[in-house]
Amino acid sequence: MRYLIKNGSIIDPARRIATIGNVLVEDGKVTRVIDLADLAMEHQPIADDIEVINARGSVIAPGFIDMHTHVCETGEEHRETIVTATQAAARGGFTTICAMPDTQPPIDHAAMVRQVRQIARRRGAVRIEPLGAITLGRAGQSLTEMAELVEAGCVGFSDNGPLDDPALMRNVLAYAAMLEVPIMCHCEDPRLSRDWAMHEGAVSTRLGLPGYPAAAEELRIARDIALAELTGAHVHICQVSTAGGVALIRAAKERSSRISAEVTPHHLTLTDRWVLGALGPLDQHDNDAPSRRETRSRRRKKTEPGLGLPGWLDPTLLSPFDPNTRVSPPLRGEEDLEALIEGLRDGTIDAIATGHTPLSQADKECAYRLAAPGISGLETALGLVLTLVHRGEMDLVNMVAKLTEGPAGVLGRAPATLRPGAPADITVFDPDHSWTVDPSTFASRGRNTPLAGQKLKGQVMLTLSNGQIIFRRGNFGVGTGALQQASKLEGILGND
Amino acid sequence: MSTATTPKSATTTAAAATDGRRRRQLLDLDDCARAEIADILETAAAMKELLARSIKQAPALRGMNVATLFFGADADTRLSFELAARSLSANVITAGEQGIQRGESLPSIARTLYALGVDLLVVRHDEAGAPYLIAQHFGGGLINGGDGHHAHPTQALANLFTIQQKLSWLDHLKVVIVGDVLHSAVARSMLWGLGTMGAQIVLCAPHTLLGPATFWKAVWPRLTISTDLEECLVKADAVISLPLRNERIQAGLLPSLREYGRFFGLTAERLQRAAPHCLVLHHGPVREGVEMMPDVIATTQAAIADQITNAVAVRMAVLYRLAGG
Repeated sequence: MRYLIKNGSIIDPARRIATIGNVLVEDGKVTRVIDLADLAMEHQPIADDIEVINARGSVIAPGFIDMHTHVCETGEEHRETIVTATQAAARGGFTTICAMPDTQPPIDHAAMVRQVRQIARRRGAVRIEPLGAITLGRAGQSLTEMAELVEAGCVGFSDNGPLDDPALMRNVLAYAAMLEVPIMCHCEDPRLSRDWAMHEGAVSTRLGLPGYPAAAEELRIARDIALAELTGAHVHICQVSTAGGVALIRAAKERSSRISAEVTPHHLTLTDRWVLGALGPLDQHDNDAPSRRETRSRRRKKTEPGLGLPGWLDPTLLSPFDPNTRVSPPLRGEEDLEALIEGLRDGTIDAIATGHTPLSQADKECAYRLAAPGISGLETALGLVLTLVHRGEMDLVNMVAKLTEGPAGVLGRAPATLRPGAPADITVFDPDHSWTVDPSTFASRGRNTPLAGQKLKGQVMLTLSNGQIIFRRGNFGVGTGALQQASKLEGILGND
Repeated sequence: MSTATTPKSATTTAAAATDGRRRRQLLDLDDCARAEIADILETAAAMKELLARSIKQAPALRGMNVATLFFGADADTRLSFELAARSLSANVITAGEQGIQRGESLPSIARTLYALGVDLLVVRHDEAGAPYLIAQHFGGGLINGGDGHHAHPTQALANLFTIQQKLSWLDHLKVVIVGDVLHSAVARSMLWGLGTMGAQIVLCAPHTLLGPATFWKAVWPRLTISTDLEECLVKADAVISLPLRNERIQAGLLPSLREYGRFFGLTAERLQRAAPHCLVLHHGPVREGVEMMPDVIATTQAAIADQITNAVAVRMAVLYRLAGG
């Protein structure tokens, strides 16, 4: 099958391209990228067997890569399977997902890697790259056969949990240094975050919930950076969530350590204020002066200056203590959120990773602290991060880079690109398409999201994996679309 | 997931909570206006008169089913609620800890109790926020009987009621809350209640029992926080002494009970700095020599006993109010 995706805004960060044009896909590969300035193409007759997809007003980008997905198969198929996870990925614009090894049994032997890859090849909608466990059974005792795991296809290692023994961590890094794959560190000192329910701050103080202080993350990041410098291994900091963590990573990168970092869409856009839900505002106002209260809430509605949130994301839609806001690491404070955005902008943080954690209803139907942490994130990731673009915090090209080139760089792969000859992993999204999050329509089995009922702007319209359409929203791209509005992207593409 | 599929219910819950005219649930004092608190205390005064009679029962809740759902033992609070409900002639069901597993789904318990015809439900849970989850699945009236370290509105109202009864006013008070504030639901609910009544509030505790002061100030901006008890007590109208549990020593938050008693225990000498009418409140078994010294206990015993009666009266008032009275 051949496709001509027409008149979209082509964004290919790896080749520093942002232009309006057409992309031709043949035999699973990108064969031509035509800038609209090159009008010659317009006069060429289009062959009958080419399906023309009109992408006017949409962005054509390389397929996104999610380097932190919990797939749950094998072992917890009630939460998610390889089929549902890859379908959710396709709907979110991801054409490659890295499967965390916290399956049952964990991915700690080459046979497990082969099995996951085999199921994925046969039934998965998108590519799955397995991550291997650092220690056998993820128990934090003895090393897995890392070289053989890499040979079988592991692209990195993670225990998806803290590795407490610093001497063991040193050995892990020293051994992995020869393998040229990242060690993905879950940075939490569990002795400092014991019994945690949420981020330690004013909100946890008000709600009487035990806190997870930012220091519990920062201590571990500092330790793992020191050990990376000692061993020369590539340490990747998973899901950095604190301002202090960003500062440590920035300083390490300035010393040219082999450090990389990822951040999730929810840590970039939501704060601990979301745990309060409808219980707002945070501070005690004067009950007898409703006029003051009203003016305050009206002001917040417009710009949310005190929350660092775009006005259309509204935490008061949630009931207080909504277990869907519980995630590890927890949603942090406003200063942390701002530091994360700054870190993403200045390159301290390399990639956006969803941390997609599907959970069953039973996992969340309990008191807040006892609810399993996690957010089902693949299908809302783009809409969330685009709020930063719409707010002018980041330009669209850079944002696409953090979803494509960034994670590819961390994994040491050839950058995801639309270069002719590259495999046609393509995501087409409309950055201005408004939609309301309805978890019941998720492809993922995990319906656990704090975003139910929120309006997001920007949605994936079409996803191609290896030249095959694996997801298409409605009748996207059918017809000439001559009457449609011209691209509204110029304002948000950035200057380059 | 309830909130995932019915985000509307969350907003209506919030709307009902802020609408003072017809309150269906009392989960904390953070949404109670001054007039409403005054109204509850007025009703409580009438209930207290009832409790002083020889026939301690009124027919206000006749034919209504009141259930107490307690996770975690707190016999005092349960007895107090059940006595309050019986004094108003309600049918009382005790949903015990034995029958309900800790891990059982709270929404399904709530739906079951509602289907059984429970009109008013009192919930106590060791985990903060549990009543808010139940609220989304329970159609009747709901009272938070204490959730973890978050809120204990009826106990806070009982404290306010006791202060009002003893001092006969509630305006321009200076109230000192001393002790384990960090792990106290009563303290948090007191902060809302006292703050709404316009009191000047001082928190006094070592920082292991308090956490960073900036967090408290962000929520309650008019709060004063200090570690110097003697300075805090100057001209105080009331002191609320919080119970200290042994776990705090075991968790390494304090070096010893003895040292805590020396620096944060109430003594007659220290209380001399307070106003002459100063009231000392405590809502639990008092530990002699730790939270307060024997000489203080001797002079305040009466108030502490009275507080227990007052708590029943306040709970009657709250039940009566939620039942639509």
